[in-house]
Amino acid sequence: MERRELIRWLVATAGLQSLNALGATDLLALGRDVHRRPLRRVVSTRAERTVAVAAERILPGATEANVGAFIEKMLADWHTPAERERFLAGLADLDTRCRARAAHDFVDCSETDQIAVLTALDDEVFAAGTKDHWFARLKYLTVYGYCTSEIGMRALHLYPAPWRYDGCAPV
Amino acid sequence: MTPLDFDAIVVGSGMTGGWAAKELTELGLRTLVLEAGRPIVPEQDYVEHKPPWEMPFRGLGDRRAVAARQPVQSHSASFDELSHVFWTDDADNPYSTPPDRPFFWFRARQVGGKSIIWGRQVYRWSDLDFAANLRDGIAVDWPIRYADIAPWYDHVERFIGVSGQAEGLAHLPDGQFLPPMALNCVEQHVQHRIADQFGRARVLTIGRVANLTVQHNGRAPCHYCGPCQRGCITRSYFSSVNATLPAAQATGRLTLRPFSIVKGLIVSGNRVTGVRVIDANTRADRVYSARVIFLCASALESARILLNSGLGNSSGQVGRNIMDHIKWGGASGVFDGWTDARTIGERPNGIYVPRFRNVTSRHPDFIRGYGFQGGAGRAGWQAALHAPGIGPALKARLSDLGPWSMSFGGFGEMLPREANRATLHPTLVDAWGIPSLHIECQWSENELAIHRDMNVTAAELLEAAGAKNIEPNTSGPSTPGGTNHEMGTARMGRDPKTSVLNGWNQSWDVPNLFVTDGAAMTSSSCQNPSLTYMALTARACHYAVAQLKRRDL
Repeated sequence: MERRELIRWLVATAGLQSLNALGATDLLALGRDVHRRPLRRVVSTRAERTVAVAAERILPGATEANVGAFIEKMLADWHTPAERERFLAGLADLDTRCRARAAHDFVDCSETDQIAVLTALDDEVFAAGTKDHWFARLKYLTVYGYCTSEIGMRALHLYPAPWRYDGCAPV
Repeated sequence: MTPLDFDAIVVGSGMTGGWAAKELTELGLRTLVLEAGRPIVPEQDYVEHKPPWEMPFRGLGDRRAVAARQPVQSHSASFDELSHVFWTDDADNPYSTPPDRPFFWFRARQVGGKSIIWGRQVYRWSDLDFAANLRDGIAVDWPIRYADIAPWYDHVERFIGVSGQAEGLAHLPDGQFLPPMALNCVEQHVQHRIADQFGRARVLTIGRVANLTVQHNGRAPCHYCGPCQRGCITRSYFSSVNATLPAAQATGRLTLRPFSIVKGLIVSGNRVTGVRVIDANTRADRVYSARVIFLCASALESARILLNSGLGNSSGQVGRNIMDHIKWGGASGVFDGWTDARTIGERPNGIYVPRFRNVTSRHPDFIRGYGFQGGAGRAGWQAALHAPGIGPALKARLSDLGPWSMSFGGFGEMLPREANRATLHPTLVDAWGIPSLHIECQWSENELAIHRDMNVTAAELLEAAGAKNIEPNTSGPSTPGGTNHEMGTARMGRDPKTSVLNGWNQSWDVPNLFVTDGAAMTSSSCQNPSLTYMALTARACHYAVAQLKRRDL
């Protein structure tokens, strides 16, 4: 978050006045926390959990790489309202599917049921051949978010940079 | 008589403005460089090592801000979430086109201009280019030939540092090369197979690029980090900020004035006596005077300054003959094998296939030609973005490098035509009240025929190399202006009646005015143009200073 945005956020949340009472360590912690959070809350805590759990099932390690926060940021400040609504409707559909299968919303299902429902959804989307589906979007954001996170880039040996070029190196 | 403020004024601090600054100050002139945009401090403004997770959108860009403020600039190849600050704000800098004929005008207003964000490919032009208009009976003849510019190509290459491989081709002359960058395994294979099939008729070589492979003139070699368009803290690629402006500064004769938007030139008789400037921040208006003025503001901006000044246009050619390079023709294919090999590091360069059409034989469908740029690689995790499956299987795919694939993308010559033209807009002005341009530019049948041929010959090259799943590009031709090689709007020529500049980039009408950016081009070649702009700038500076010393200016 830019400093300008941070200040705008603090003003909007009436957080500016209470800053005076905080020590340097607290301010630093607050700054770090603010950096981790999207500018605006556009999804419910429930939807946030659904996204986080689904991302972890789609790509194990997504939670550790904080992929959920990246997806929220994209929903809040990158996607159009129409795209966001379609995505949130998709999350609701995920709950409907889970209730039909296991009588619980997605986050309350067993891991086995979660994986079964997501796998069925993935098969459907691929059979239909559409990249436009909300689930294709969730998968894209999950993979992209993981592979551009520090944890993901280190795991894939994409970071730090090698500082040299070899056009024919062994795998 | 009031003493003049400076000996010389250079408008623009980018690719050519930096060269004018360096040459003129080194030749002893007290020189003012006027830059419309902000200063650049490399230690603060270069952000090439910022990792994706420190960007709010991880490199996908601030989509809403871009749609609102940079809808045109965002089409530029090197525009991204961090580099976007090196392009102008479209809302502050409007222009118009006919609704059915879009033209992308990419603009950069900061010290360094577009030299910070250029593609860095540098190729000499030859007499296949300089004699082309005469040979084809098109437009006007260039007033120069390769022999006139060759020493200046040497001069520029020695200073900027160009890595490349000598190939001994008459129509793509070799230069002063630093060691070439390496071709990767598949590119080497393709190079050999093309040589087997086509001999020297079609050649694949490593790109000639203004990125250093060894230490050069106090600048460090490239460390292969990747995103050159975000700056380069080691100064390993050429930009005016990295090389020419520091050289000019070292003379003690340079005055660099950022935030200085040129409104127009002031004329007395047949001489330009000053430059009228608006301060971008305070909007204060002031005039600077000098003995000689160099316009290096980029092709369309320099034409705009001339049109707004009502100057140098007795030929009626200012703003006409807009050229770019047509691209997006080509093909890609997949290679079996080399599964035990990968690339390490980000090479800021690709392959080059020099022009092979209409060099020794005659193509039935078009005149002139095109070259290919491209390269081979493995997709890596990006292939998993749209891959089927979830869970551990999907995660395993992230580490799967995937097959090798290779693509060729053409850059085709555009013919000069008077109808491709920029004029002053009758009502539209920029944020500083300066009249904007209306731009009308479209491809002709010759460029479209070149574009179609790119798909055919790229597939032939891939087939010769043994590629599978060869797919031609289906995206259609690029939008004019989209290659960022706009040029031709104040062409050089042999006759004041049909050209704006003589063979020294000197205005026929106003002898102490020089235009040395892309505006001066009489034809477009198919090779990337910046090297030629720089060489002509250096040549014009030496001519102007010699004229000044002889009191001929």
